[in-house]
Amino acid sequence: MASTRLIPVALRAAPGVTLALLVGWATLDVYAIGEPRWSAALFTVLSIGVVAETLSVVLHWRGIRAIGLIAIGGGYVGAHALVLGVQLVPALVFLSLLISQVELRILGERFAPLYEAGLGPDERTRIHGALGRAVLRLIISAVLSVVVPILAADLAVAGIVPATTIPTAIALAGALVAVVALLALLPSLKRPAV
Amino acid sequence: MRTPLSSGLAAASLGLLIAGLAVRSWQVILLALPPVIVLALGSLFPPARPRLVAVRTLSRDRAEAGRDVEVKLVVRNEGPPLDLVEIVDVLPREFAVIHGTNHAVVSLERGGTIPLSYTARSPVKGDFRIGPVRARSLDPLALGAEDATLPIEARLVLAPAMEDLRRTKLQPRRTRPWYGQVASRQIGAGTDFWGVREYTAGDEVRRINWKASARLDRLFTNEYEGERSGDVVIVVDARRESFIGTETDNPIEHGVRAALGIAEHVLASKNRVGLIVQREVLDWVPPAFGRKQLYRILDHLTHVRPGGEWPFAHVAWVLSRFFPRDCLIVLISPLQDRAALNAVIAMEARGYDVAIVSPSPLAIEWRLGEQRPEDQTAYRILRMERDNLISQLRRVSQVVDWDPATPLALALRRIGTWPRPA
Repeated sequence: MASTRLIPVALRAAPGVTLALLVGWATLDVYAIGEPRWSAALFTVLSIGVVAETLSVVLHWRGIRAIGLIAIGGGYVGAHALVLGVQLVPALVFLSLLISQVELRILGERFAPLYEAGLGPDERTRIHGALGRAVLRLIISAVLSVVVPILAADLAVAGIVPATTIPTAIALAGALVAVVALLALLPSLKRPAV
Repeated sequence: MRTPLSSGLAAASLGLLIAGLAVRSWQVILLALPPVIVLALGSLFPPARPRLVAVRTLSRDRAEAGRDVEVKLVVRNEGPPLDLVEIVDVLPREFAVIHGTNHAVVSLERGGTIPLSYTARSPVKGDFRIGPVRARSLDPLALGAEDATLPIEARLVLAPAMEDLRRTKLQPRRTRPWYGQVASRQIGAGTDFWGVREYTAGDEVRRINWKASARLDRLFTNEYEGERSGDVVIVVDARRESFIGTETDNPIEHGVRAALGIAEHVLASKNRVGLIVQREVLDWVPPAFGRKQLYRILDHLTHVRPGGEWPFAHVAWVLSRFFPRDCLIVLISPLQDRAALNAVIAMEARGYDVAIVSPSPLAIEWRLGEQRPEDQTAYRILRMERDNLISQLRRVSQVVDWDPATPLALALRRIGTWPRPA
């Protein structure tokens, strides 16, 4: 029973903690930039992100939540792509954390009210199962999101796939566009539910 | 079904890809992979398509507007287990849920059921459909969803509230040959004394006036004023221009309430009542007696919604063709256009008695407004214009300027017998 009471608390707290971690990380990286012009611009972007996220929580204004996350992610990627240089592993971890933060928030919004409303024994088992499967998928996707690009980079550096050349980058881009387009179109191609 | 998150991830991936190409950095291009990986995993575990069956019961299928209606819905899963399914019983926008909920997010196994129980209320009258039931099978990580609609609908008729006009003296001036409760100014069967005449064979003994007979040494018989019934036609102005205010507080809603109260009162006095409604279509109920006629009128009034641009001349045409000539016409209108004046004069000229009940749009607007100084000036000007129109109408008919915040019975009682005897 204690675990049933703790689960909604953990689900509600997890996205906030993850977001704080991301903001702290991005702030530290931007702080490390020596050039004041870039530093000020990127701090502004980060601040916009933090303000938007805060407002979305305080005013229940969901429309600006995405803007906040884009600003925080943009601040980090901008700092590394434009000034500091991209370090692949930390960048992948940051991006995975950013995606996980969104997924954790959705999990919290969907499952925490169910636990808080009080569940019967059968229902609790089913909800536990659904939450367990979702968390497992989240962990697997977070791990794969880091591991697969690292493997790809290793293969490229080892020379098996010459990914550092422009033609290869364009070919990779084409393949990614095809995959994204396929994933985006897949639901439209399915038969509508009766 | 595509979700905002899946679209966002696809957009982020494309954005990183383009950014990587722009800054010629393979590391940034590789950053485009994580969103694609998350999307790919999501598409490997799509949510199951819901196959549900639902049964809905209502505590009543006819009620008065503003009354609570209890709804019970049982949804059963006849398809694969659903990790997370969102179910909503769609209500018309006029309804508010008072107790319980018409929405649930649950996990349903095969054969599992979820009961939903709630109390709903609509302040607006009408013929409503509750339903359908919509279900959405959700991916817990919001990367996909499957929708289903269960086409079960329940009909709920909400009748307008009825004004209590029991103490109002509202009756037609001209009568018809049928027995009723209206003094006919003719000798007949009744209770009001009319005169005395000489006794003729066959007169009832209880009608003999013994005092007069003793004084004049001949038999005399009392005569009484016959009580007959008359015809009343209620005309409800529900044109679009008459809609002023909110959905619950507007001259048309109040007019419908008044029409139902008047119809009930007049029918209870054994008179015939007919109805004409000016809305998108011009619909009418021919005059008739009794309880069934009240239900007929109620049914027509329930469907009244603002609409249409009919000029008043059309109502006059319908009246002259399909309704008896010597009837009392009760026109329920906010009197928004001056054409009403000419129409009423024309009807009086054709021999109709006309009485007007006018739910004041000014009073409604004034209550809803901010009542600033400039509004007060505007209100005074409009008030003068309305008073001017009403005083002109009073030359040819009886007019009740009714503030709908007060009971109609009060407004009618202030003017005594209604309409004025000739």
